[in-house]
Amino acid sequence: MRKLPKIIFTICFLIGLFNSYQGYAQREKIEVLRHSYISKKLELSTTESEKFWPVYNEYQDKLKALKRNLRQAYKNLPANFTDKEAEDLINLENKTKLAEAELFKTYSDKIKAIIGINKLLKLQVYEEEFKKEVINALKEK
Amino acid sequence: MLSKISNIISLCFIQGFLALFCTEINAQSIYDTIKPNEPKHFFNTVVFFDSYTKPKQALNDTVDYLNERLETYAVKQRVLAFYLPLHTAKEFNKDSSIYSNTHYLLTGNLVQLQPKFGGITNHNLIKAGIGLRMIHNTGKKGLWFIDISPFYTTDVTFGNDNGYFRMSNSFIYSHNFSEKFNLRVGLTKSFLWGNRNYLPYLGFRFGKLDKVHFSLQIPKNMSLNIPLNNKLRFSLYTKPQGGMFTFSNKDSVYYFNREANFFFLTRYELLSGLRFDAAFGNNFSFYIALGTSSRNKLTFYSEKANADRPNLPYKTYFFERSLKPTGFLNFGLVLRFGKTKNIHGNRNLYEAMDMNNTIGVGDNNIAPGMFSVPIDESVKRSKLNLADIQDLIDANDF
Repeated sequence: MRKLPKIIFTICFLIGLFNSYQGYAQREKIEVLRHSYISKKLELSTTESEKFWPVYNEYQDKLKALKRNLRQAYKNLPANFTDKEAEDLINLENKTKLAEAELFKTYSDKIKAIIGINKLLKLQVYEEEFKKEVINALKEK
Repeated sequence: MLSKISNIISLCFIQGFLALFCTEINAQSIYDTIKPNEPKHFFNTVVFFDSYTKPKQALNDTVDYLNERLETYAVKQRVLAFYLPLHTAKEFNKDSSIYSNTHYLLTGNLVQLQPKFGGITNHNLIKAGIGLRMIHNTGKKGLWFIDISPFYTTDVTFGNDNGYFRMSNSFIYSHNFSEKFNLRVGLTKSFLWGNRNYLPYLGFRFGKLDKVHFSLQIPKNMSLNIPLNNKLRFSLYTKPQGGMFTFSNKDSVYYFNREANFFFLTRYELLSGLRFDAAFGNNFSFYIALGTSSRNKLTFYSEKANADRPNLPYKTYFFERSLKPTGFLNFGLVLRFGKTKNIHGNRNLYEAMDMNNTIGVGDNNIAPGMFSVPIDESVKRSKLNLADIQDLIDANDF
C-alpha cells in the first residue's frame, strides 16, 4: 500500500512524457513510409542500396531541418510584427529556398554518381508520387 | 598479458576519441549560414530501468554449516542504465560511394542486487560504473565496436568500507556478408559468468534485422527475434546473467576469517524465456520477460585470505553451491530522448544499433530493445494526419 503513491507518480510522469513526445513520433512516421515506398519502387541493387540510403538520408535530414527552421520562424512571429521582423523573415525564406536549391544540386550529384541519371529522375518522380499518395490517403480519411 | 592488451586498446581508444572530438571542418554554404537545428547523432540518449526477480529456494537441504545458516536464497535485481551519444564523426569519400561514421557514447549503470538469504540480514550490493563506447561504421561491410566499462562494487548494508574497482570491456569486429547474414568476432572481458573471464566473442545472425531473425552471440545471448511492427516485438532468448559483488562480512558469513571486512559473492544463471516489447511513440517502450533460470551457481571467496595462502588459487571458494532451476520475472522501462538522424535503409547502421543493443551497458547483459531499426509500412495502412506530413508539402500541393 505504501508503494501506491510512487506507482501513481511514475505512471503520471510516463504519460506526461509520452504525450510531450507524441508529436515528434508522428512526424517520424512519414520517414518510414517514404523509405518503404521509394525502396519498393526504385528497385535498387544491394550495392546501390548500401551506398544510396546514407546519402539520401543525409539529404532528407538537411531538407527537413531547413523546413522546420522556417516553419518555426513563422510560428514565432508576433501578431503585430514590425517591418524589420517582416524583412528578416522574408530574407530567411529567400535564403531557405536558395539553400534547398544548393542542397538539391549537391546531393543530386552525389546520388547520380551512385544510382545513375535514370534512377535519379525516377527518384524525383516517385517522391512526387509518394507525396500525392500521402495527400490522397489524408483526403480519404 | 590479456590485461595489458586490454589496457593498450583502452588507451588507443581514448586517444582516438580525443583527436576526433577536436577535428571537424565544415565548408561554409548557404545552409551553414542559416544553421537550422539538425540532429547531430544517429543514437538517441536512452535511459532504462530493469527489474529482475527470482523466487526463494532452500539452501538448508544440504548438511553444511553455511548452507544451514543461510537457509534460503532469492534474488532481486534492479538496474538503472543509460547511454548517450557524445560525438558523431562522419565522412563521405570523394565520390560519395562510402559513408563512414564513428559514434562515441557515454554509458552508465547502477545495479542494486539483493541476494536474499533467509538466515542473515538482507544485503544491498551496489555496482556502479561509467564507461565509454565507440562504434565505427566503415561504410562498407564492417563495424568496429569497443566498449570500456569500469565499475565499482560495494555492499552498502553496513557502511561503505568494502568498495572494489573492476573493469569489463569488449572489442568486436562485425561483418555484414549480406543483409541476411552477419558475423562478429572479438574478445570480451566479462564478469557475466560469475568471475572475471577473458572470452572470445563469436556471433552469427541469420535473417534481416527488420524481419524475423535468429542471433547467436557467444557468450552474450541466443535469440529468435520476431518484430511484429514498429510498435511490438517478440523474442525467445537464452542469456547468462550474473556478476561479481563485494559482500560485507559484518555478519560473519566468512566464519573462517571473522576479521575480514568483506569477501566476494559471485553468481551466474542462464535465463531462458519469452520477451515482449511494446513501444508507445518513439520515446517510450517497455518490456516484460518471463521464463526459467537454470545452471544457477553461487560462490563466496576472499581474495585477500586466499592470497595469504600462496598454494591456493586466488578464487578458492569457502562456499560454492549449484541450485535447482526456478522461474523468473523481468520487466523494464525504456525512455529515448532527442532527435536522431535518419537511418532508414542504412544496413550498417542497423547493425550498429543491434550491436549497441546486444552488448549490454556495463556488462549487465540487459538489452533495452530494438525499436531503432524501422520496419517498412504502407501508406494505405497508416493512420496519418496533417501534422505528420508538414515536411512534405508545399502550398500548391493540394
